Amino acid sequence: MPTLLDLLARVSFLAAMPAVAGVLITAGILVVSRDWRLNVIAFTAQYFFVVLLLTRLIQLEVATVKGLIGWLICLVFYLTERRVSMLEQPLAAQDTTPPQRWQRWALSARASFCLLAAIAAAVTAYMVAMRFPLPEIPTDITLACYLLVGLGLLLVGLSEAPMQVGLGLLTFLSGFDLFYVALEPSLAVAGLLGAVSFLIALATAHLRVAQVASGDERKTL
Amino acid sequence: MIAGPLVLLILPLVMAGVVYVLRRWATLSALLAVGTALVLGIAVITLSLDQPVQPLLFLGQERQIAMGEAVTLLGRELVLEQADRMAMTYLFFTAAGLFFLAWRAAPHSLLFPMGLGLLSLLSGALLIRPLIYAALLIEIAAALSVFALQAEGKTPTRGGMRYLTFTTMALPGLLVTHWLMDRYTLTPDDTGLLSATAALLAVSFALLLGVVPFHTWVPAVAGDAVPLAGAFVLTVGNGAVWFLLLDFLETYPWLNTHPLFGSLFSTAGLVMVVVGGLLAPAQRRLGPVMGYGALVDSGSALIALGMHSKLGLTLALLSLLVRPFGLALVAAGLSGLRARNGDDDSFDALRGLGWRAMWSTATLILGGLAVAGLPVSAGFVGRWALCRALMPSSPGVALFLLLAGLGVMVGVWKGLSALLERPRSPEENETQEITSEGWLMAAVLAVAILACLWVGFFPQAIAPLAARLAETYTFFVP
Repeated sequence: MPTLLDLLARVSFLAAMPAVAGVLITAGILVVSRDWRLNVIAFTAQYFFVVLLLTRLIQLEVATVKGLIGWLICLVFYLTERRVSMLEQPLAAQDTTPPQRWQRWALSARASFCLLAAIAAAVTAYMVAMRFPLPEIPTDITLACYLLVGLGLLLVGLSEAPMQVGLGLLTFLSGFDLFYVALEPSLAVAGLLGAVSFLIALATAHLRVAQVASGDERKTL
Repeated sequence: MIAGPLVLLILPLVMAGVVYVLRRWATLSALLAVGTALVLGIAVITLSLDQPVQPLLFLGQERQIAMGEAVTLLGRELVLEQADRMAMTYLFFTAAGLFFLAWRAAPHSLLFPMGLGLLSLLSGALLIRPLIYAALLIEIAAALSVFALQAEGKTPTRGGMRYLTFTTMALPGLLVTHWLMDRYTLTPDDTGLLSATAALLAVSFALLLGVVPFHTWVPAVAGDAVPLAGAFVLTVGNGAVWFLLLDFLETYPWLNTHPLFGSLFSTAGLVMVVVGGLLAPAQRRLGPVMGYGALVDSGSALIALGMHSKLGLTLALLSLLVRPFGLALVAAGLSGLRARNGDDDSFDALRGLGWRAMWSTATLILGGLAVAGLPVSAGFVGRWALCRALMPSSPGVALFLLLAGLGVMVGVWKGLSALLERPRSPEENETQEITSEGWLMAAVLAVAILACLWVGFFPQAIAPLAARLAETYTFFVP
């Protein structure tokens, strides 16, 4: 039976522009979508592409551990949202008013705006990557770094909902990590950065549950 | 023999676990938290750095503690130096004071276990070398503090989230700095590396200290979080960031010879003072007023550091030392008022509450005076000394500082006038629930008020400490 390392080695042919495209698509989905199921899937896929790119910079084992931390974070988000869905069910049953026509338009306008903003951020990231290449890493990984950092910051800026901000912060950190592993290959730093990511995920989950418990959700979307 | 730095890291962490388990017994957990912070603070300041002292009974064997002994943890060196010693004393004693107030004002919050955990991490940040690990530990501490900031199912989640966001955004700059300095060591002709380092450090510390326009987390933390946890972040957490900044200036002395050093700090501080002074009176809730007061205070400390002299450094440290008195009092008063008002601190909701919560109101007033830097309070000590030092060279800046203090006081005054509004009719008065604050709460608040007044009336008790602390840094010539 093949191990996780074998599987990663088999798909290593994707660890160039296809992975960068994957990063762009998954981060774009995170910016546009407010469906938690889609977001968790996109985030899991994003960590997969980041791990693929990391394999070109650091040892496969270390990249795999980083990926495992990322997928654990996705599991935390999945369990949190499942719990939140259960908490919200009684409220949803009470609120039986069908959405107004203008409300559907408002949602659509938000998604359209987010899509446009994501495209603008991606174009800016491309321009910056061409003009200011990062030291010690190849051009395509530079582009992936700028995309993750740019779209992560966009995600943080577009919402005050804990889950969106948390996903944005972790996307931002993934972009930085992709660059920083080339500068500082120390295992202690890698471990501490992993701990930082995991704690951000736990703090986000804590705030998400508190948000639902206080009934403050609609104000922050 | 036990190395002192290990004790400072491990003991608060172990006690955090114990206190978390004992959380149901609020008094026991609070007193354990206060005791731990006090014992560590006293140990740091009294035990000698040069030689092992005080035989300690540890697992049935007599052990000695060597506070000054360096220890290696995961290949990184942890060492307690003279400057860190004073800084850590400040952190431990401030935390002890906040835990003491939280004993009565927020007995069931997560502040006790999380606060002890934060003390361990922040101590590690001050002890560890190289400094990139300090940045990582501060980021971990920020993530952990979210659990203390957010009350369970009560308030909006904005404060904790914003604090975490800005701290996370500061992390890359601090980490890359280390690599840039390593490269500069190899290629000393490339001065562009120094400029990049200075720019990254400036942006990172601006994010961490809440410099305008990155200040939005400060009023959010003060307004939306558990008040004493907010005060913890704004005093202990922010204090650790200040000492880390001073460590950076000490480690890289070329930073303070940068031509823009003085003007950068002075301008950033002045903008914070002006923004805080203008926005504080415009608030409709007491929490954000405290946040803008803290912003003015941080701005005044930056202005002091921008004086580019030993005197300026002393005044910045004095401002840092007296800050907990004001913020802790406001937070304790706010906690008392919120507890009797369904967690609402808007001026409309507070009308007439002052007559039912006299001690909380009195604490809030004196804390407001201290945060605004007005006479008879602890905050006046630092603010007035800075104004006097600035008057000969920059009278305009000194005037702005005084006006900003008045602006903060106007915000507090608006809250006070709502609190002391008389009930409109006897019937309304009768329907209001009379809630006693209890003698123990009154005693705790009275102790805090007396401490603030004592420092205000006898500044000679605290000013020499700031001078001694400033002596431990050598990056400014006297």
